[in-house]
Amino acid sequence: MKYQVRDHAPLLAVSSVLCIALLIGARLLWPPPPEPGVDLADIPYYQLPFGPDDAGLPRPFWPSRMQTENGRFADPAKIQSAADCAICHPREFEEWAPSLHAIAGRDTVYERAVEANEDLHKDGIEKARFCEGCHAPGEVLAGRTNRFKSVMPSDAETEGISCVMCHTATHADPVEGNGALTLAINEGTDRLSNPLLLAAPRDHARAFGAKETNALIAKGDFCGGCHTETYDTSMSKVEGRQHVQTTHAEWRDSWYAGNGVTCQDCHMAPDPAAYVRQIRSGDLAKPERYAHNFVGANYLMFNTGLGSNLTFLRGGILPGLSDARNTELIARQGEATRALLRSAAGLALRGSEVAPGRLRFGIAVQNLGAGHNLPTGVIDQKYMWLEVVVRDATGAEIYHSGAFDATRGETDPDAVIWREDFIDADGERIPDHLTFITAAISHVRTGVPPKGEDVVRYDVAVTSDATGPFRVEARLWYRVATQEFAYNTLKTDLVIPPFELTAAEFALPATDEARQ
Amino acid sequence: MGRNGNLVAAAFVYVLLAPGPVRAENDAELRGLENVKQFTLEHSRALSAQAGLLEQALSTYAGTIEAHKGDYAAAWAASGPELSRQVANVRDLWLEASNRYETIEGIVAGIPEMAKYDLILDAGNPGTESEDVAEYDLTLPDGTVLPRPGNLFHGITEPLFWGMSESGIRLPADLDGDGKIVRGEMLFDANLGLGAARALAFWATALEADMTSWKPNRADAFTSVAVMTPTVGDYFGEWKESQFISGEIGAFVARSRLVDVIGIMSGCRKMYAEAISPVVAASDGDLDSRITASFEELLGLVEDTYAREQAGAEFGVEEADALGNEAQDIADRIVAMVLQAAAKNGVEIRG
Repeated sequence: MKYQVRDHAPLLAVSSVLCIALLIGARLLWPPPPEPGVDLADIPYYQLPFGPDDAGLPRPFWPSRMQTENGRFADPAKIQSAADCAICHPREFEEWAPSLHAIAGRDTVYERAVEANEDLHKDGIEKARFCEGCHAPGEVLAGRTNRFKSVMPSDAETEGISCVMCHTATHADPVEGNGALTLAINEGTDRLSNPLLLAAPRDHARAFGAKETNALIAKGDFCGGCHTETYDTSMSKVEGRQHVQTTHAEWRDSWYAGNGVTCQDCHMAPDPAAYVRQIRSGDLAKPERYAHNFVGANYLMFNTGLGSNLTFLRGGILPGLSDARNTELIARQGEATRALLRSAAGLALRGSEVAPGRLRFGIAVQNLGAGHNLPTGVIDQKYMWLEVVVRDATGAEIYHSGAFDATRGETDPDAVIWREDFIDADGERIPDHLTFITAAISHVRTGVPPKGEDVVRYDVAVTSDATGPFRVEARLWYRVATQEFAYNTLKTDLVIPPFELTAAEFALPATDEARQ
Repeated sequence: MGRNGNLVAAAFVYVLLAPGPVRAENDAELRGLENVKQFTLEHSRALSAQAGLLEQALSTYAGTIEAHKGDYAAAWAASGPELSRQVANVRDLWLEASNRYETIEGIVAGIPEMAKYDLILDAGNPGTESEDVAEYDLTLPDGTVLPRPGNLFHGITEPLFWGMSESGIRLPADLDGDGKIVRGEMLFDANLGLGAARALAFWATALEADMTSWKPNRADAFTSVAVMTPTVGDYFGEWKESQFISGEIGAFVARSRLVDVIGIMSGCRKMYAEAISPVVAASDGDLDSRITASFEELLGLVEDTYAREQAGAEFGVEEADALGNEAQDIADRIVAMVLQAAAKNGVEIRG
C-alpha cells in the first residue's frame, strides 16, 4: 500500500493541481451570471417625468420612495405569488388573504380613487407611482405603473403587499416615508422549485429570512416606511412638504414606543383586541406568535352583510382562494376588526354644571388602546365624530349634536369631528381624495394622541319647562369614507355605514362616580 | 446617365412595381391604416349623432323648466314624473355618448392635430389651471359666457347630471319615487346643461370633420391598439362589477358591457391584423403569432361569455371575477407585446 501511494503520489498531485487550475480557469472564463432584475433601458416607453435625482441618476419609481436593492426593476415573471407561498405556508396565507394588505392594490375604493387622480394630469399614471409604491409595490417595481405598459403582467402584482414585499426588505426610512423601503426583491430570493425547497430548506430560510430582514420587519420603523406620508409638488400642488399621514410618528412619540410595544405587537397579535386589553392592564409581554392578519380599523371591507357587493368593493377574489373560503376568512377577520375598534376608545364626563337655563359639561374622548392617534392614517376620508343627545327628566330630547342621516349618508355638518381636509388651490375643501390637486391640508380637529384625551365642551340652553335630572347620551362614531367620495368616485349610492367605537351615558347633575 | 445608371434606374422601377413580399407588406399596411381611419370615422360619426340626441334631450328638459318660468319647484310639482324620465333619459344618453368617445379616445388623444378635441371633450382642465387647459369658452342659452370652463364630459356634464356638484343642483327631488331623497336625486341647472350639450354636439361635429382629413400612419395604428386595448379591459371590468353589484347599492356606470367589449375588441383585432401585423411579422414572426393568438383568445372568451349570458346564464361572483381577471390579463399581455413590437420597429407611441 505504501508502495502504491508513493508510486502514484506525483501523478495524483499533478492531477489535483490540474483539476484545481481547470476549475479556477473555468470560473474565470465563465461569463458572470447576469445581474438579476431588469434594466431601465429594457423597458420600452417607460416615462420619467420627474427627472433625475440630485446625483443625476434616474428615479424610476418616484414619487414613491420605494427602491430595489440593486436599483433594477423586478422581473414580473420572477416575483413570487403569495399563492405559491401558500403551498407550504397555508396558515400564514389564510391569515394574510383577508387582510387589507392583500387587497391594497386591487380594492375598488382604492382603484377608483387612483383612477380619478390619474385623470387629473397628463402624467397622472406616473404620478400614481406615489400611491402604488405602497399599495401595489410589485406593479411599480416591475415597471407597470406607466401609461404604456410594455411589461408583461403577473399574478404577483395583483396581490398588493404580498409575502415577498416584506420578507425581502433590507432598509426602511420612517421619517422619509412615502414608501421609503428597499427590497432585495431581485437578488434576495432563492427561486428554488418546491422539491428543491424541501431538499434545501436552509437556503430558502436564508433567502427569505435573512437575519437583517427578520430584524427589520419586526420593528415599528419598518411600518413607518409606508405609514408616514407627505405631499409635495411631485404628486400634489403643495409647496414644500406637508404631512398627510403621521401614524409612525404618533407611535414613536408615544408611551407605547417608550415601553417597547410595537405596531406588530398589536396588529399582528393572534387576538389583537385581547392583546390591547392585556397592554391596558399593564402586562407588556409579547404575543405568543405573530399572525399575518394585520388587523386594522377598516370595518367596511369586512362587512359580510354586503354579500356580493363586498366582493365588488374588495376588487374580486385573490388568486388561490375560493369564494366560500374567502367569505369565511373575511368574516373571521371582521370580528377581530370590530373587537379591536371597540377596544380603542372611551368617553368620560368632565366639568359639568347645571346653571339656570344652561347645562354646561365636557365630554372627554379618550384614546385608551391605540398606539397612535384616534383616528389615524390619511383622515380626509376616515373620520371620527361625537354624537351627544341630552334628555330631560321625561326623556324628551332637548339637544342633539352629531346625528347621522342614514338615508343620505351624511353626518351633521355641525358635529364635533376629527378629520383632516384636503384644500384645493382656490381654498375649497376636496371631499373625494383628489391628491393631485390638493394644495394644502388642514385639520378640523387633530386626532386624540395615545393615552391622551380631547375634552369637548358643550353649553346647552334649557327651556324653563325642561326639568332635571338630565341625561347625556354620548356616542363616538367612526366612518371609513365620506359619502361624497362614495358617490363621486365609487359611483354608487352605497351609504357607508358608521361604526360605533364606544358609547356612554351620564346624569346631570353628575353623580360622584361620574365626577371622578 | 450611362449604361450602369440606366440599369440602376430600371432595377429601382422594377422593385417599386413588381409584385413581391416587400410590396405586399406595404399594401397590407396601407390597407390596414385606411381601415383604422374608417373605424375612427365610424365611431366619430356615432359620437356626433349621440351628442345630437343628448342635445335634444336637454332641450326638452330645459323646455319643461322654462314652461314654469325657470321655477324648478313649480315644474316639479306640475310635471314631476315627466322630469324624472327626462333626467333618466339624459343620463342614459350621456353614458352612451361618453362610451362612444372613449372608444376613439386613444386615437384622438394620440394624434397631435386632434389632441385639442380630447382636452375639450374629455380631459382638459379649466383655465384656472396652468396646463392641459381645454381651450374654448362655453356660451349658455341665457347669454352667459363661461371662459375656459374645463372639459365637457367629466368636468361639466357628468357632475351636473348626477348632482355631484352642489352648484349645479337646483332642486333636490325624489326622482325614483321611493319616498326618500338620496344623493344624486335632484333637478340640475337646465341653462348650464343645455349649453354644455350644445357645445358637446358642436365639438363632436368639429372632431368628425377634422377626422375626415386625417391621414393615418404607423405610429397612429400602434398607438391606437396600445391605448384602446386596456380600455376594453375596463369595459369587461364593468361587466364583471355588474355581476357583483346587487340589492341596495346601485352604480350608475356598472351595467353589462359585453356587446361593447366585442365591438371594441373586434376593432382592435382588425387594426392589429390589418395595419400592424404586416410590420411585426416582418421583424418577429413568433411575436406576431403570439399577439394574433392572444387576440383570438380574448375575443373567444368574450364571445363565449356573451353567448352564455344571452342563453340565460347567471354568473356567480367567483366565476365573474375569474372571467374578468382573465380578460384583463390577456388584454394586458397583448398591450405589452404590441409595445415590445413597436419598440423593435422604432415606432413612436403618442398619447
